[in-house]
Amino acid sequence: MKLKKKLAHIAPLIVATALTATACNASGTDSSSSADGKTVVKIALWNYKTTPEFKALIDGFEAKNPDIDVQPVDILADNYPDKVTTMLAGGDTTDVLTMKNVTDYARYATRGQLLPLTDEATKLDKASYSGLDDYDLDGKYYALPYRSDFWVLFYNKDMAGTTNMSKLTWDDYAQLAKKFTKGSGSDKVYGAYHHIWRSVVQAMSSAQTGGDQLGGDYAFFKDQYEMALGLQKAKATLSFSAASSNQVTYDSQLTTGKAAMVPMGSWWAAALLAEKKQGKNDINWGMAPIPQIKNDGKTVTFGSPTAFAVNKKAKNADAAKKFVTWASGPEGAAAVAKIGVTPAYTSGEILDTFFSVEGMPTDELSRKAMQPTTVQLEMPVSDKTSDIDQILKEEHELIMSGEKSVDEGIKEMDDRVRNEVQ
Amino acid sequence: MNTTVLRKDSSAPAEPAPGGPAVEHRARGGAVAVTGQIALYLLLAVVALAVLLPFIWMLISSVKDDRDVFTVPIQWIPEDFKWENFSTIWTRVPFGAYLGNSFFLSVVITFLQVFTGSFAAYGFAKMRFPGRDLLFTGYIATIAVPWQAYMVPQYVMMQKFGLVNSYTSLILLQAFGAFGVFLMRQFYLTIPDEVSEAARLDGLTEYGIWARIVLPLSKPALASLALLTFVNTWNDYMGPFIYLTDNRLWTVQLGLRAFIGQYDAESAMIMTGSVLSVVPVLAVFLLGQRYFVQGIATTGVKG
Amino acid sequence: MSVAAPPAPKTTSSGASAAHQAAAKRRRRRNLLVGWSFILPNFLGFATLTLVPVIGALAISFTDWNSYTTPKWVGLDNFQRLWNDSNFWAALQNTFYYAAGHIPLTLVASLGLAVLLNQKLRGVHVLRTAFFFPYITSLVAVAVVWNMLLSPESGPVNQFLTFLGVDHPPGWTSSQDWAMPALIIASVWRDMGYYMVLFLAGLQTVPAELYEAARVDGAGPWQRFWHVTLPGLRPTTFFVTVMITVSSFKVFDLVQVMTEGGPGRSTLVLSQLIFREGITQGRFGYASAVSLALFLICLVITVIQFQMQRRSER
Repeated sequence: MKLKKKLAHIAPLIVATALTATACNASGTDSSSSADGKTVVKIALWNYKTTPEFKALIDGFEAKNPDIDVQPVDILADNYPDKVTTMLAGGDTTDVLTMKNVTDYARYATRGQLLPLTDEATKLDKASYSGLDDYDLDGKYYALPYRSDFWVLFYNKDMAGTTNMSKLTWDDYAQLAKKFTKGSGSDKVYGAYHHIWRSVVQAMSSAQTGGDQLGGDYAFFKDQYEMALGLQKAKATLSFSAASSNQVTYDSQLTTGKAAMVPMGSWWAAALLAEKKQGKNDINWGMAPIPQIKNDGKTVTFGSPTAFAVNKKAKNADAAKKFVTWASGPEGAAAVAKIGVTPAYTSGEILDTFFSVEGMPTDELSRKAMQPTTVQLEMPVSDKTSDIDQILKEEHELIMSGEKSVDEGIKEMDDRVRNEVQ
Repeated sequence: MNTTVLRKDSSAPAEPAPGGPAVEHRARGGAVAVTGQIALYLLLAVVALAVLLPFIWMLISSVKDDRDVFTVPIQWIPEDFKWENFSTIWTRVPFGAYLGNSFFLSVVITFLQVFTGSFAAYGFAKMRFPGRDLLFTGYIATIAVPWQAYMVPQYVMMQKFGLVNSYTSLILLQAFGAFGVFLMRQFYLTIPDEVSEAARLDGLTEYGIWARIVLPLSKPALASLALLTFVNTWNDYMGPFIYLTDNRLWTVQLGLRAFIGQYDAESAMIMTGSVLSVVPVLAVFLLGQRYFVQGIATTGVKG
Repeated sequence: MSVAAPPAPKTTSSGASAAHQAAAKRRRRRNLLVGWSFILPNFLGFATLTLVPVIGALAISFTDWNSYTTPKWVGLDNFQRLWNDSNFWAALQNTFYYAAGHIPLTLVASLGLAVLLNQKLRGVHVLRTAFFFPYITSLVAVAVVWNMLLSPESGPVNQFLTFLGVDHPPGWTSSQDWAMPALIIASVWRDMGYYMVLFLAGLQTVPAELYEAARVDGAGPWQRFWHVTLPGLRPTTFFVTVMITVSSFKVFDLVQVMTEGGPGRSTLVLSQLIFREGITQGRFGYASAVSLALFLICLVITVIQFQMQRRSER
């Protein structure tokens, strides 16, 4: 009875608050121009507060275009594509959509959810761009990249000492990793850390041997797997099983001095700098060109660009296009380079800006690391990409956790990609 | 299937204890009973500690540095205690507002679920009319469809109604589930029909019977339904994620995920927030516990 | 299926007179109106916001909808694809495996806990709270700690097994054969407190007089559990069984956090496949076909449970 009486007291209150709350929500969310007459461009992005590049771009653009008001639509990074897919299915009119990776981009573009930006793309100085071609879908462009990350070798300068890391092959790298391994128990220092992503092994092999990740013949993975498993067996890297079941973060491996070398994407530089600024790490780190399979003096690595696209149902398509073009051009590039992010557009000037960021390692080797000869797209785009990606990921887990031998795993990849992917 | 499975296995956990209310336990006394009780306590204490281990890990992680949260091997004692995590979280994100939003949503949804669910359950359990069983089948059938399967069609509908990015959408979505109806119906079935029959003869309408006889008798069920609905709404992530876009509408679970970046996560902050977000749920549990274990039932027949 | 509740207010009209019949008719109509009035407030919300999209989603399984373009009718294409999809069969098998472990273990554990903790022991409310904690502990914490406990080389579980003389203790989440048992253990541990609450509520409906009577008859604790508690709990047990069954077949969150379906696809479950094919890849037609299959499986099992429930009531 007591319960009921209480409910009877609370009920009208709840209903009343519910009504006022919904009334607030309904107002003022749908407008294409702000109160002061500016054109509003809404942009779907992730973690606005902790991803400073977005603010840098928006502020830079608004300073140049005082008549346009760019408003972020903040979405969680974790499930960003899921939310965007759902929003677009409902006919959402957010003007600019950030394309987290090229696979998602291709999906939205082929479904006809993006406005073509081919005219804008042809005006760009293609030679200065890294990753622009990845957005070419049969001669048409639906997004323009504003940042482009690629893999380099991060290392702990104090542990590496005077070792020359400028022209490593993967064999040299494995030797070094064993050399840098020290101690045991909780004092153990590993020579290297390989994160659990399949790209660490697979995309690397593909970029440096020319093997096709969609091809259905994966023999070209073999050497890299032998190398990775060899290091794991020699206890020169943390084992794959331990890393995955403990949800180990690669950041902690370098910054707590657990590992001397970590192959990773260039996005990490900005994060390491930010941590240092907040006093969260005091590591003396540097970058080296990623080790190579062929010893021919070229630096081949893989990477993945990030781009802005314009929603087909955008409210202010023209202003949106203006933003996308600006962000991917020299001015946008300068804005993101200033905070230690690698832009898609590069020039000597931009590189100088990048290395003038406070705390960025400025040695010759780090600078060399940021100028690879070739950057191949992490995973080629086709309508079969996601299915093949899934199969390669599953078999990667089995090989790395020792459930299957390298040969068995590769054979399984071949069979499954040929038979299961329609 | 259910009953046979139950019979085969139920010997294991029920072994040391009698079924049902155990007021009688003390009355008998004797050394055997005392030793038995001590053994039972010990067993339960050990099990309870084991059960709490992940929560303990969460507590410890909440006062660590981000980079010390996920380590091999697990670090059970932090190198230095970062108590300030518990103060910084309120300024890093509008955590207080998130708590308020979660609380508002959970209370409204729980209230509607309990109220309409128990109301509808009366129709299903105590009334007889054509179409009743078909309707009930409809309710049960939808439980069997995973939300992942229809979340997009549902979202498209909500967008057409102009309700996305508002609490109304979430409230409407989660307040009228089959769970509450089914749960309450099952409990009403345990109330003998003679009770309502007698009330009917006393001249009570069906609504009167529901409000004055059936509802008070099903207090434990109402309390457990309220608790479970509250907890589930409080912990829901995907629903608020899809439907609430404006940051000022966000719930605790969304706020916590905001610490996960594209490439890295502020793990200690996430754990700090998780610990804080357990507190209200715990309060509701302690409050509800009184109701769902207190009363030892009588058949309810008056006189 | 028909899921009749035991007869409620008796409306049988045995008298043959016309007046009687008219009265019965009036009562039936009144019953219909009153009955609907009870159900309507919930049903309105339920029908428009859940039932309609569910039916819509299941209908999509006969189309090639990709969330954006107008869906095209493709007949049984999606089901043909389903039949030939090794992912579907793997997920189906894993889901059944999970359900076969999770349903009985959770049922027994939660019922056992409820019976134990329903007693008036000192400090019992602390224990009850403790056992509810797993359900409100962050999933990430659950995954990390269980992975630690079950770690193949250094985990306490395997150390204990080695101590007992097991030569090759299982590899748990890093092994294809043992990942699912590991998942089942963690999920039973997590869910038992949740269903315990329902059983606790159910135990309050078992009349105390019955226990009293049983004791007078000389029944021991075990017999009282068997002959009083269990029969009295039947409606609750039935509800809990149905809910555990359905939630086992729809399991998603814990798998996603603890193993992500791996290693390989040894813990890939149907809900993950639906999410991946639908939301991630935009093949909503195919995802709906998988959902329809999952729905039919759940439905068949639930119908069987309802039938058994009715039989045992008689």
